[in-house]
Amino acid sequence: MSLGRRRYFVTFVALCGLGVTWGVMVAFDWVSKLGIVTFVPWAALMAFDLGALGGLCSAAAAATLYLVTANAQNVVLDNVQIGVRLGSMIVLGLGAGLAGDRLRSSERAQRGVAALQSALIDSTLDGICLTDEHGEILISNKPLRYLARELGMPQEGSVPERLIAIADRLAEPERYRARMRDLSRTTGEASLDEFELRGSGRVFRGYTAPVQDPDGSFVGRVWTLREVTADRELDRMRDAFVATVSHELRTPLTSISGFLEMMQEEEQALGESGKRYLDVIRRSTERLHALVEDLLLIAQIEAKRVELDLLPVDVVDLATSAVEGQRPAADEKGVTVEIVADHPPIVRADRTRLTQVLDNLVSNAVKFTNEGGTVRVHIAGKGDAVELVITDTGIGIPPDEQGQLFSRFFRASTATQHAIPGTGLGLSISRALVEQHGGTISVESAVGEGTQVTISIPATP
Amino acid sequence: MSPRILIAECDADIRELLEMTVRRLGYVPVDATDDSEVDAVLLEPACESGRSALRRFGDDAPPVVCLSIYPREHGLEPATSVAYLLKPATSAQIARALGRIFAVQPAH
Repeated sequence: MSLGRRRYFVTFVALCGLGVTWGVMVAFDWVSKLGIVTFVPWAALMAFDLGALGGLCSAAAAATLYLVTANAQNVVLDNVQIGVRLGSMIVLGLGAGLAGDRLRSSERAQRGVAALQSALIDSTLDGICLTDEHGEILISNKPLRYLARELGMPQEGSVPERLIAIADRLAEPERYRARMRDLSRTTGEASLDEFELRGSGRVFRGYTAPVQDPDGSFVGRVWTLREVTADRELDRMRDAFVATVSHELRTPLTSISGFLEMMQEEEQALGESGKRYLDVIRRSTERLHALVEDLLLIAQIEAKRVELDLLPVDVVDLATSAVEGQRPAADEKGVTVEIVADHPPIVRADRTRLTQVLDNLVSNAVKFTNEGGTVRVHIAGKGDAVELVITDTGIGIPPDEQGQLFSRFFRASTATQHAIPGTGLGLSISRALVEQHGGTISVESAVGEGTQVTISIPATP
Repeated sequence: MSPRILIAECDADIRELLEMTVRRLGYVPVDATDDSEVDAVLLEPACESGRSALRRFGDDAPPVVCLSIYPREHGLEPATSVAYLLKPATSAQIARALGRIFAVQPAH
């Protein structure tokens, strides 16, 4: 029943009660015996229901009715008695009316906030729900119910159960199942996952985190779900664009390098300055070529098209050739390069990709170290894995930039201030390749003191 | 007589470069418009006119050295391809690929 209709109903009941009571009192001549007390509950009920002003009026009416009836039945009252009865009835009516108003306004306020909150969470793009400690849904919003239907989730059960139920409709059901099992075990952590519906190419992103009340006690978990198909499509377009441009760059690069090669054969005819110019062109062409290759590799990594050709690899061999490859540049700069190997185990790895990583890291170390500095490569076994630590005494990386080091195209301010050339792709490529081998990479650095990069490659990925 | 190499490449600058390169390696470069006999083809598989120049041989196509802006995985490599080089390749790489076809390294 709505608030308005309930109010009229209560007032009607109170009026009827008042009428019946009055009738009984008149019929049995009980006015003197029971007095105004019999009117009190009805008047109070009516006052509570009608509010302050209505309560005042109804109390006054009930009191007047009583006085008129008492007068008609020859009940003698003195002025003080009349005053006290009339006054207490009015005070009672006003009080009950005010109490009613107060209760209704707080009720209205609560309903208002709840309505606003549910309207708010219903209006967002993300599906949102809150679950209790067992994963049962406490609150959910409209977009969540819509997305759950789109994904074909069952209407019953806990959220982890409903999520597991759709595994077979997804592109990578096994990986997804394992992820969901992890998720239901680790309740204390936040987690962000993406999954793709098989066939349709629609991609969804789910987030979950524990929810705490202001005292810090566990209330439940929040789950949000959003369709990110358009975002992924944009990523794909960007990667395809980068790949196309990079491939197309090979055409002019071929002309430049080819004719450069021809010119170098006729170098004798060029004279001193001509040779110097040619040298600059050659170096720049090599950099351009390296950049194109890096861009293509990044595009391949992003598209998950890099496949590892796993064979037994001696990391010391690869590190030694990486160091020897950088030795001419190091000698020219006056940087000492040393390698210390501590009988590490043989690992299963992709020789070409791992070479790329080591070349990258050693050339970085040499590049960012000034004259008189040292670059040290230390290789040792650590359990089943091989750990490589590349330490330099170079310019270092400011602490607030270290988090971004592995982002594509990111270059530390110390590198740009010293005008040290680079593309900001090396570490991002290295991390992707190391992680594809099931390994880890980390950086520690202090400005002006040096940088230490540690990579760990497991015996088998 | 020196082997004749058909240069099937769309980009004029690279065509000129490849003609110079094969000539220096001791071969005879042949233009795609010339429909005389050839012994091998230097092909950019991404180049449409290059691929159609190859089609005129039908089933009797000569060995092909691909020199492409795309990696092999793009699937443009013709059936008679014997070597696949990624641009920019050095003249030494081209020399090795052609040399394998004619078994002996021609005079530089």
